[in-house]
Amino acid sequence: MSAVKKSASSLAPTAGPLGRLWHAIWADWDLMQLAISVLLVVAIGFAPLVIRSPYYLGILILAVLYAYVGISWNIVAGFAGQLLIAHIIFIALGAYTTVVLYTRFDVMPWIGIPASGVVAAGLGLVIALITLRYGLKADYFALFTIALMVALKTLFLKWEFVGAAVGMGLRLNEPSWEKMIFSTKEPYLYIGLALLLAGILVQFWIYRSKLGKYFLALREDEAAAAALGVNTSLYKTLALLIGSAMGGIGGGYYMMYVTFVEPPQVFDLGLNVELVLAAPIIGGLGSLLGPVLGALINKPLAELIRGTLTAGRSGTTLIVYGAFLVISILFMPRGITGLIQDGYQRLKRRRAPERDEEVRRGNA
Amino acid sequence: MLEVQGIVKQFGGLTAVNDFSLSLDRGDIVGLIGPNGAGKTTAFNVIAGFYRPNAGRVHFGGRDITGLRPDQICKLGLARTFQVVRPFGALSVLENVMIGAYARTNDKATAKAKAEEALEALGMTDLAERAARDLPIAGRKRLEIARALATEPQLLLLDETMAGLRSAETDEVIEMVRKLSQRGIAILLVEHVMKVVMSLAQRIVVLHHGEKIAEGQPSEIVRDRQVIDAYLGEVESDAAR
Repeated sequence: MSAVKKSASSLAPTAGPLGRLWHAIWADWDLMQLAISVLLVVAIGFAPLVIRSPYYLGILILAVLYAYVGISWNIVAGFAGQLLIAHIIFIALGAYTTVVLYTRFDVMPWIGIPASGVVAAGLGLVIALITLRYGLKADYFALFTIALMVALKTLFLKWEFVGAAVGMGLRLNEPSWEKMIFSTKEPYLYIGLALLLAGILVQFWIYRSKLGKYFLALREDEAAAAALGVNTSLYKTLALLIGSAMGGIGGGYYMMYVTFVEPPQVFDLGLNVELVLAAPIIGGLGSLLGPVLGALINKPLAELIRGTLTAGRSGTTLIVYGAFLVISILFMPRGITGLIQDGYQRLKRRRAPERDEEVRRGNA
Repeated sequence: MLEVQGIVKQFGGLTAVNDFSLSLDRGDIVGLIGPNGAGKTTAFNVIAGFYRPNAGRVHFGGRDITGLRPDQICKLGLARTFQVVRPFGALSVLENVMIGAYARTNDKATAKAKAEEALEALGMTDLAERAARDLPIAGRKRLEIARALATEPQLLLLDETMAGLRSAETDEVIEMVRKLSQRGIAILLVEHVMKVVMSLAQRIVVLHHGEKIAEGQPSEIVRDRQVIDAYLGEVESDAAR
């Protein structure tokens, strides 16, 4: 009797709630990615204990923002396969909405930032309707979003109400939680982390639900999706709405952190690549972990290159950074997450036969 | 159940389907045959809502479905497969079929159960976790049927599901299609493999240059002079090559 019990317990060496949780996560690659993402968020949460320099904290804050914005783009481009290249327009619009509400209407950012999400989603809806009306496919859709960015830049450069070419800044009087203005970096980091955590959970929920599976079906084969009952127009629109709303919220937060915005700064393809596209692409487009992992490598690396290579020689940064992006696309088409996934699967296969062996011994 | 009335489909100056009519009842298996370019797939695309016909109507389950979108038609109970298979390559076989099952439910567990059922009906349970792109061609063809089946259709349009299969594989698929029909699902199949059409179909419709030139039981069709001239003769010469 006791011998049977013993062999049973050796069968499940990690019994107990934590052990069971670990087994559930280990068995499911999606949960694995979620767990790693959440652990990274927690780790960054403890970073201020080690990192005291405001400069490095600033890089970390932007990395967190890049991860969040990367997630918003990953849902549209990575899941639903829509080539929304100039995603930066939603970040820009979100930044402007927040600052206009704040400076012109005294609306505090806690309301202004969600409102930015709504305004950006409005633009997302307009883009979706135009795209569907004229049947813009893939590369034409991509070009359309870039053209829209250029047009918006010109509009904002001339528009007095939003500061025209001068841009708009926050009035930085008293630091306060209500106005989301702080004299230290830490509060910005924690607000950013809360946003990122929400983004990670939303992305995970979408990926596992019908919505996410329909997005993937759109990306893989639109005609096949339609034949299986997927309303392709509706789901393309939903993908754009979710991505633009999340992007707008990210833009509002970006505004509060950088405190100043002008058209050439935000309606810019260079910033678009660094802030939106790089993290998911380096990390693994379409994966759950990609944007988070990519941002944590992309942002510090971009800063490192800027800090060490370019002293005095502007332009070198872009060449080196661009080369890095090209190399990572060529040699890691599935990003860093792809490499990790391969390793994970190899480990899993190696562990599986052992478990079978244990079961056999247990039965004997 | 399905009433196709005089559909016409033109591409520029070319008339791909001309005044084509067809009717199908519950549990029927009807074969649609004809030489390459006869307009079979075009007719499929019109029925399933991928093309809007220039003239004619399509009724399904007592409803006029002409001009409805493919996803609406699918939800009404008419599912199709593609001649050139279109798996969602990056997704697992199970996920592929779940996307079909989601046509009837929003719940993940229900969709999974339905998908597993469809996979079992096609004998694909063992392949559930494989990536669809890793399947050999026979598996992909079956996946097409499993996915369509998971949408719980009353009518299934099978577009050359047996083309490219080996003889033993073909026999298996024939058996599966027969079982589906016994469940009350009507089946319209486009097929080049005459063995398949002859053994499955209760009725055969022959298209040539976009027009219906014959309709009848398999035994009548094989004796039809016009059909032999237009099509069956060609099949023999194909085989001789």
